[in-house]
Amino acid sequence: MSGNVRVAESLHEEGENIGLHRFALFTACCTAFLIFVGGLVTSTQSGLSVPDWPTTYGWNMYTFPFSKWVGGIFYEHSHRLVASFVGFLTVILAAWACLTERRRWVRNLAVAALGTVIAQGVLGGLTVLFLLPTAISMAHACLAQTFFCLIISIALFTSPQWKQGLPRVSYTDHSLTSIRLPILCAMTTGAIYIQLLLGALMRHTDSGLAIKDFPLSFGRIIPHFTSSHVAIHFSHRVGALMVASMIVWTFYRVRNEYRDYSLLRRPATLLFSLLWVQLLLGASTVWSQKSVLITTAHVATGALVLGTSVLLTLRAYGMISKRVAAWR
Amino acid sequence: MRRLSLVAGSALLLVFAFFAACSSKDDGIPPLPTGTNANSDGAAPPPAATATVSGKIAFEGEVPKPEQIKTSQDPMCKNPIFSEETVVKDGGLANVIIYVSKGDVVGKNYAPPSTPVLIDQHDCHYLPHALVVQVNQELQIKNSDDTLHNIHAFPDPSSGNAPFNQGQPVKDMVANHKFDHEEILLPVKCDVHKWMGAFIAVLTHPFGTVSGDGGKYELKLPAGKYELTAIHEKYGKQTAMVEVKDGDKAMLDFKFKSTDTKSGN
Repeated sequence: MSGNVRVAESLHEEGENIGLHRFALFTACCTAFLIFVGGLVTSTQSGLSVPDWPTTYGWNMYTFPFSKWVGGIFYEHSHRLVASFVGFLTVILAAWACLTERRRWVRNLAVAALGTVIAQGVLGGLTVLFLLPTAISMAHACLAQTFFCLIISIALFTSPQWKQGLPRVSYTDHSLTSIRLPILCAMTTGAIYIQLLLGALMRHTDSGLAIKDFPLSFGRIIPHFTSSHVAIHFSHRVGALMVASMIVWTFYRVRNEYRDYSLLRRPATLLFSLLWVQLLLGASTVWSQKSVLITTAHVATGALVLGTSVLLTLRAYGMISKRVAAWR
Repeated sequence: MRRLSLVAGSALLLVFAFFAACSSKDDGIPPLPTGTNANSDGAAPPPAATATVSGKIAFEGEVPKPEQIKTSQDPMCKNPIFSEETVVKDGGLANVIIYVSKGDVVGKNYAPPSTPVLIDQHDCHYLPHALVVQVNQELQIKNSDDTLHNIHAFPDPSSGNAPFNQGQPVKDMVANHKFDHEEILLPVKCDVHKWMGAFIAVLTHPFGTVSGDGGKYELKLPAGKYELTAIHEKYGKQTAMVEVKDGDKAMLDFKFKSTDTKSGN
């Protein structure tokens, strides 16, 4: 009898945790959409079209009449509503994790995600009230990416694959000079994050068209740094080159050494594919003189590149590192 | 359990934010910053303007065709609106600000006029497009439209004037603002309707005006010798000297070319 109860409890727990995993996935998708909508706000320069916060022209933001969603208000107000929706999803996610998740560190991660989304909301409000100061706007943009990574991590850690244990890969040192894959993936993720920081700096200092030609810069390989805008813009281009090298390196390492492990191969292939999309979007942003849709797609794809890299990194650690593999 | 309490606390914080967002409509609108370090107390009235300088701001070269602005994103902006960057009629350029840039009246601490200067958001554009206001003079900002506007000022950070962003969601709403420091060509815009923009010249004295239809202007001045500057948002600035005595009616024309640019001046 007691055995049956245990099995039932186990099944019940498993069902709940699959639910939690799916809910985390759903939250991650909503967060990616939120980043796109947030990108639209900056691309359309609508960040200050609603001058007050948390109200919207004095209305409760949830009762603001739809007929008044005109011009830049449409983008800014939509961003606020989608953001508050993601906020509520995160509350549910954190509560769900606290109630059903047996691993303390996963519960902590969910609570950290909740803290991050609250901080993110406050930063969003502050940047409106202080008329978009670069530091706050950048922090808002970067915290969005951090939050996205946290939600992706939670989705991964609550997945049945992770909990049942990822397949173990014995590390073979193919070359004395090569670094371990998990470390390489972590370095790639770090490089992508720094590149996103530079991208945010470029957007929020209005340096996106400081160099108007591509692939050259004012007809040269290295431009004359006539202003800080040119320097910021060019550093983002150099960053793109470095990130591209890191991703290509990571992809080839996975393809050559871990080809049989689909859990590594798939995200690495996705990362490699997204890289080319992202590079094309970056170039098109310049060629199209910052077309709203292209620029926003560039921001959103940047988040997907980071998210995919985080996923690959965590899986690489989970499969290759003994210490991380024990986190179940 | 402690973690659950933390989550519950955070949820409460969000609920609190929700109720904060439910505050009454009027409470939610942040007040405009107003000039606080104005030194109008004890300021002398400006000397009587007994002379008149008038003339025309001529425009030479190809006149850009007025471009109709697409306003479809707001159904309340029904009337056709045209770009106001270059408004030329009978060879005269409108929206040029003419002011005393050198002379006895410059750098004095004159009491601001008690009458406010009005900038109206009307038919989804600013009326007037260019205006002159004195330091510490009331600028009255009105929304005459049946739609929401925000007026967002972009002072030069070095000017000392505070930027502001004021929402005006209701028709006939009026807000007031004072500028603390001189600033010539302070742009304002509406972030809701991107095409809406205006330019303000904040002067320390009342001797400034804006060219109207056909580029005509008239400026009342006290007797004296002055440098007058005519400045336009796109075509930059021109200067000229003028000397007037009490009761004089002097003529002074300025000429802008289509090839002039703001950065080139």
